[in-house]
Amino acid sequence: MKYYLDKTKHIARKQLWSGFKTAIFLAFKSTLRGNRWALVLIVIVLSFSFVNLVFVSSLIAGVITSMDNQVVNAMVSNVVISPEEDDYYLDDVENIEATVLQLPEVAATAPRLISSALIEYRWKEKVSQSDKGKSGTWEVVGVDPLKEEDVTIIHESLIEGSYLDPDDRDQILLGIEIAGREQAVTSEFLTLGGVHAGDKVRLTYPNGIQKEYTVKGIFRAREMMRVDHQAYVTRKELSSVLDRHVFYDRASEILVKTREGVSEPSVIAKLQEMGVPGQIRTWDEYGGSMRGVMSTFEIIGGLIGGVGLVVAAAVMFIVIYINVIGKRRQIGILRAIGIPQRSIIVSYLLQSLFYVVMGVILGWLLVQFVVEPYFRYYPLDLPTGLLSLTVEWPTMLGTVMGLFIAGVLAGLIPAYTIMRQKIIKIIWGN
Amino acid sequence: MIIARDVHRIYGVGNASTHALKGINLEIEHGEFVAIMGRSGSGKSTLMHQLGLLDRPTSGQIFIEGQDVLKMSIGERAQFRLERLGYVFQEQSLINELTIFENVYLPALCLNNGRDYRKKARELLEIVGLGERLDHYPSETSGGEQQRVAIARALVNEPHTLFADEPTASLDVESSIVVLRLFKKLNRELNQTIVMVTHEPDDEDYVDRVIRLKDGLITQDTHF
Repeated sequence: MKYYLDKTKHIARKQLWSGFKTAIFLAFKSTLRGNRWALVLIVIVLSFSFVNLVFVSSLIAGVITSMDNQVVNAMVSNVVISPEEDDYYLDDVENIEATVLQLPEVAATAPRLISSALIEYRWKEKVSQSDKGKSGTWEVVGVDPLKEEDVTIIHESLIEGSYLDPDDRDQILLGIEIAGREQAVTSEFLTLGGVHAGDKVRLTYPNGIQKEYTVKGIFRAREMMRVDHQAYVTRKELSSVLDRHVFYDRASEILVKTREGVSEPSVIAKLQEMGVPGQIRTWDEYGGSMRGVMSTFEIIGGLIGGVGLVVAAAVMFIVIYINVIGKRRQIGILRAIGIPQRSIIVSYLLQSLFYVVMGVILGWLLVQFVVEPYFRYYPLDLPTGLLSLTVEWPTMLGTVMGLFIAGVLAGLIPAYTIMRQKIIKIIWGN
Repeated sequence: MIIARDVHRIYGVGNASTHALKGINLEIEHGEFVAIMGRSGSGKSTLMHQLGLLDRPTSGQIFIEGQDVLKMSIGERAQFRLERLGYVFQEQSLINELTIFENVYLPALCLNNGRDYRKKARELLEIVGLGERLDHYPSETSGGEQQRVAIARALVNEPHTLFADEPTASLDVESSIVVLRLFKKLNRELNQTIVMVTHEPDDEDYVDRVIRLKDGLITQDTHF
C-alpha cells in the first residue's frame, strides 16, 4: 500500500514538473516567435504606465523634498533653539552657543534677533500723513552675517547687490516679496513695488525708533512662505535699535546646523542633557504648515497613482486578452492533445509576467536615464524651490508590485475563461 | 479495445435540442482501422468526439482498454488523452510558433515518460517523409505536409488509438492518397488502432471496417 502511495506521489510530482516544463516551453516559444508587434505594443504600454505612475508620485515627492530643503537651507537650518513659552528672548547667547558647539554633531550655530518694522519706500512722495504710500509691515531679522553664512543660504540667494558685512549698520537686505519685482509671487500692491539695491527705505520699529537704511541687496531664497518676506540687518544694528545694553547678548532664536547624516532628534536629546535652555525643535516642526498641504498632495498623488494603475491594468488586460482570444483555437488543440489545463494557464501567466518584467525594465530605464536626468538638468522653477523628481524606492516597488498583480490577472483571467469552455466549442465553436 | 454502450448525445435543451447520437453500441478491436462514414449531420464527428474524450455523452458508457473513461475527472481525461490517444484534425491544427519538430515532440515533452522524445519525434517525421524539414514552421509547409506532421504528433506517445476527423477533407487528391497510405502503413506495420471519420467513398479502400451512421444511429457495420 505504502509503495503504491509513494509511486502515486512520485507520478504526481513528475506530472507537475513536466507540466511546468511544458508551460515554460510554450511561453518561451510563443513570446519569441509570436506576434512581435503585439509584444512591442504591450511592453511600450506597460513601460509608459510605469513611467506615468512613478512620475506623478516622484513629482509630488519632489515638491515635498524641495520644500523641506528650503525650510532647512533658507529658514531654520536643522535645529532651532527658541525661548521658553513665556519668554520673548534667549539670554546669554554666547554661552549657549559655546555649549552647543561642544557637540561634535553640530557644525555651526547662528543667533538671530527678530523684530518687525514698518518699511516704507519713497515715503517722501507721500502727500499726507495718512497716505500709506509704498509701505508694509514685515519681519526684520538681525543676524551675525558670518555665522549666518554657515547655517542658511541667504548669502547665496542674492539676485541684486551684495551680502551684509559684520559691521554694517545702515544697510539692509530685502526679501523679494518685500522688494516686489517681477520675480515676486506676491501681488505688487502688497510689496514695496520694485525696490533696487542702492535705494533708500525707512523703517519704523515697534518702539517708535525710525531709521533710514540703504538697500544693500535683494534676495530670493525660494522660500516664499516666510524667508522671502523677511528683511535682514546685522544683529548689532537691531540690538542697538531695540536697546543695545539689554539686547547685545540676546537672541530670538539660535539656528543649529548639524553635520551630514546626523539625526536631529538625537542632537536635541543631547542638547537637553547638556542643559541648553529654551525649547529645542527640529526643522520638521517649522515645516508644519506645509505638512498638511503636502499630506493632502500625497493623498491626491496616491489617488492619481491608483487610477493610473487601474488604467494600466485595464490596458494590459485588454491587450493580453485580445492576444489570448486570438489563440483560442490553438488552446483548444493543446487541450485536445492532452496538454494539462494548468500548463496552458501557466504558459499564459508566464507570458504576461514576461511582458510586465520587460515593461518595468524599459520603464525604469526611461525614468532613470531620461525623465529623472531631464528634470535634474532642467528643474521646474517653482516659488517653493527648484523642483526635480525625487524617485523613491518604496514608490517604485509599489508600482512594480501593482503592475505584477495586474499582469497576473491579465494573464490568468482570459486563459482561465477559455479553459472553462468545452474543447469542441473552443476548436469548432459549436 | 474500445467499447461504447448505448451512447446518447443531446445538444441543447427543450425544443431547441438536437439528438445527435441516439444509442450507439459498438466495439473496436485493437489494431483495427475503422472508418466512420455518413452524411453531413449523421453524427459521425460527434461519435468520434465521444470516443476520443473530447466531449462527454449525455448518457451511456465508454470503455477504453477496460477503463470506464466517463468516470474520469477532467484532469484524468486530459492525462489519458495525452498518454493513450492521438488526434488528427480536419483543419490545420499545428502550433504556428513551434517548428515541425517541436510540434511533434510537444506531447512527449509533456508526458515525460523517460523516453528520448527528440529521437522518437525525428523517427516519426522520417516515417511521414518530413525528416529533412525539422526546422520548418507550419506556415512553410503545404496542407498535406501539415497533416503528416499532425499524424507524427499524434503518434509520438505511442497511443492506444489514433483518431482522425476527416483528415483529408481539406487536401487535394494527391496529398489525400499520401495521408491515407500513411495511415494504412501505420496500421499494418505498427498494428496501430485507427478510427477515422470520413465521407469520401474512396477511403473505404484503405480501411478494415466501415461503420455507417444515419441520424445518430449505426445503420451498417461492414468488416472487409
